Amino acid sequence: MPRLLSRRTFLLTGAAIGGTALVAAVGGVGYLATVDVEGLLGFVDGDHAALNAFVTIGEDGRVVVNVPRTEMGQGIHTGLAMVVAEELDIPFDDRISVVFPTEPLPAYANWFNVLGVRPEYASGPAVWLGRRILGQLGFISTGASGSTMAMWHPMRVAGAAARQMLLAAGAARMGVPADQLTTVEGFVRHEASGRAFSYGELAREAAVLPPPQNPSFKPESEWRLIGRSQPRVDLPAKVRGEPVFGIDVTLPNMLHAAIVHAPVFGAMVAGIRNLAMVRAEPGVLDVVVINDRQVAVVASTWWQADFATRQLDIEWTPTDADDVDSAVMTGRLEAGLAGEAPHTYLDEGDVEAVFAGGAGPVVEAQYAAPFLAHACMEPMNATVLIRSDGTAEAWVPTQSPIAVRQGVQRGAGWADVQVGSVTCNVTMNGGAFGRRSDQDVVAQAAFLAARHRGRPIKVIWSREEDIGRGLFRSQAAAQLRIALGRDGQPLAYDALVAAQSAMQSIASRNLPFTPSPDGDMLTAEGLDKGHYTIPSRRLRSKNVPSHMPIGFWRSNGFSFNTFFTESFVDECAHATGTDPLAYRRALLRDSPRHLAVLNRVAEMAAWDTPMPPVRGRGVAIEDCYRSVVAQVVEVSVVADGELRVDRVFCAIDVGMVINPDAVIAQMEGGIIFGLTTALMSSITLEAGAVQESNFHDFPMLRIADSPEIIVDIIRSDEPPGGAGEPGIVPVAAALANAIYDATGRRLRSLPLAITQTTGERRTRRVLPAA
Amino acid sequence: MVRFIVNGMSADIDVPNDKPLLWALRDELGLLGPKYGCGVAQCGACRVLIDGVSTPSCVTPCADAEGTSIVTVEGLAGPDGALSIVQQAWIDEQVPQCGFCQPGFLVAATALLERVPEPTDADIDASITNICRCGTYPRIRRAIHRAAASRARS
Ligand code: FES
Ligand code: FES
Repeated sequence: MPRLLSRRTFLLTGAAIGGTALVAAVGGVGYLATVDVEGLLGFVDGDHAALNAFVTIGEDGRVVVNVPRTEMGQGIHTGLAMVVAEELDIPFDDRISVVFPTEPLPAYANWFNVLGVRPEYASGPAVWLGRRILGQLGFISTGASGSTMAMWHPMRVAGAAARQMLLAAGAARMGVPADQLTTVEGFVRHEASGRAFSYGELAREAAVLPPPQNPSFKPESEWRLIGRSQPRVDLPAKVRGEPVFGIDVTLPNMLHAAIVHAPVFGAMVAGIRNLAMVRAEPGVLDVVVINDRQVAVVASTWWQADFATRQLDIEWTPTDADDVDSAVMTGRLEAGLAGEAPHTYLDEGDVEAVFAGGAGPVVEAQYAAPFLAHACMEPMNATVLIRSDGTAEAWVPTQSPIAVRQGVQRGAGWADVQVGSVTCNVTMNGGAFGRRSDQDVVAQAAFLAARHRGRPIKVIWSREEDIGRGLFRSQAAAQLRIALGRDGQPLAYDALVAAQSAMQSIASRNLPFTPSPDGDMLTAEGLDKGHYTIPSRRLRSKNVPSHMPIGFWRSNGFSFNTFFTESFVDECAHATGTDPLAYRRALLRDSPRHLAVLNRVAEMAAWDTPMPPVRGRGVAIEDCYRSVVAQVVEVSVVADGELRVDRVFCAIDVGMVINPDAVIAQMEGGIIFGLTTALMSSITLEAGAVQESNFHDFPMLRIADSPEIIVDIIRSDEPPGGAGEPGIVPVAAALANAIYDATGRRLRSLPLAITQTTGERRTRRVLPAA
Repeated sequence: MVRFIVNGMSADIDVPNDKPLLWALRDELGLLGPKYGCGVAQCGACRVLIDGVSTPSCVTPCADAEGTSIVTVEGLAGPDGALSIVQQAWIDEQVPQCGFCQPGFLVAATALLERVPEPTDADIDASITNICRCGTYPRIRRAIHRAAASRARS
């Protein structure tokens, strides 16, 4: 019997564990089976009918798709809307719009990233429990290249279930059995009589029907959207300058704040020498110390707030890190590599015995990579309103609404204000790269909002605060060795990386507990080389803490470890006089998926044709985010060491592809991001303080330096893999390998080149002196 | 008091003379298309056309814009809302990722094509100096060539 649920009832039932039982009761199925229909209960709200947590249809036939993942340029709103449109059987046009839902329904939780289980294969009580807990917490996040893997199946179910409910509503209207009906282009049709009703006409009746337990999917052979490039839903607004990014949020009565952080992390504010003067600056309403550690200026406009912060003369407390410069950090990492008691991730075969046995030559090398900033194009910002009744609302370009809720509570707590419910509006996002998973900025905004209750406060960090005073990828170093057999192939591989645990640093800021740094996969990922056939392997890490706050950073451990390991594999190839491609082919003898990707990129780059003098090419491959990606970089190195990257070829097996053009765009963008990192990015320390502050000293690749990029997606029967991060992963190693090919010089430390400015924003990149 | 024309409308705003044009456009006129990315003329996210010249508005004091005609990304489309040739090329090549830098690129590309109707790759390298952290450069290059070709046809 159809029941009309009010929106309120739906939210309560949808949010409570009991709601699952209610769905189960309606569907008449067992308790555990309801895992698969989470979020599928519908309701009617005015002229809109929510057929489930993901699909709302208006009377006019317009479809709103709820995508509970942040659009940060990767095209996820388009890809997941395509999946819904495919199953719902509607054209992919401007009648579809996508929103990030404000309600943290359990169906939106990112349990895939936590449990590592693909929804299409999830079953059993452990997964059920994990899902319930993460669902209740409202654990919604975007990251780890996981959104397609996490959501494509649930949203496919949502689209198919909605279609089936529309068919049932059509059957009731027409008084014919549903199996005599078809759907076409947003209509339910009865072929025999020629009668048809639009989805808009049927939606309200459909929304109150019990959701089907196992809606049948459209067979792959009938897919019209999945696997065919569709235009991004967010681009028409983006070329008009219309989207409201976090930095653009404008609310009545809003105040603006700029922040100054300590030059040395960990320092506290000892005093503000010119407080009275800064308070008297035009537009300034409040100058206040946040949590002992930062100074905020609140003003009528951000320009005034920013201007005033630059006048501040702050005395900071001394810290233990005041004598730490980059050389000290490098020394600590080297000591970490030489020191005692690293954590062992994997010890397979008897590595020590192979090396001790002295059977063949040993190749050994040490590699290094610097601290890095994220430098998202949209500077860090958050807007928070705390009302007099204790409720709060936030507008943040966040990757993590749950971090926003916690950040609001925390920041308000610094002002001794208790906050009740927090509504999180996820805005358009100007690049994130892991940076926007943290609570830091939102907590600052909440503290200020608690002091100015009833008025929204928008905090924006200046670019200088963003690059020099935010979060970083750890500096890292590695000691690698390989014992070679008679055929030149590795017998034993021993990898030790020293870096600061990202997980521990992230947890110390965001979680009530701090995990051990040992076993942090964000440190070790990319060391594994499990796709290479090597009889004995040992992987170890050493946590080397520093005063620097570490955050998620696009591809995390892969961003340094793959540079280390794939450069090192090249060294082994050259040590045995083998072509680096042929060497890897032999190593991939037991990994056909990887070998196919390698072969494809070699073919694209015409690897077998010789390069002219002064030019070189290098290859690298990695298995990451359940995708396999290989790249060939071509460089020219002319007489005075000037380096140009000419072309990059990229082959990727990303499993089943939803929107191929979006994957290509991610590879292109990832390659540019990776080249910036490999060629010119370095965060350095002097007297404990980061020296870089803006794009003049933390430069980015520009169009003039941007190589031609050729991407090919390999047809694959694997389930979908990630695409947001793989593109950047092999670039640095492929580039270093190309430089070796061109010059015979092995560069083991990032960045690989030195940037010289030669005029207004014109730069050249030269290799460091030998 | 500063007067100029923005996107065809005259504006009369009461701001300090040294307030950067970027913040005047955003705060006083609600034109949020031009973005703050660096504040020091490095990234180009804030670029607007001032009398047809692509200019970083973050370092242009309002006083310098007195009496000029300014076009922001919001003013690139026709009065009927039709996308400009450059905007259409941006859609056709599916250029933007996060989109935050794109207002500045659209402005810079529009100015380039006015000056050099059929730019070579070298022309593009020399005049498009904006930063895109998402790495949309290959598509920007293609879109500029595409826009040049459509202009030649129209
Ligand atoms: S904000 Fe003006 S150039 Fe960057
Ligand atoms: S599209 Fe994101 S910075 Fe350019």
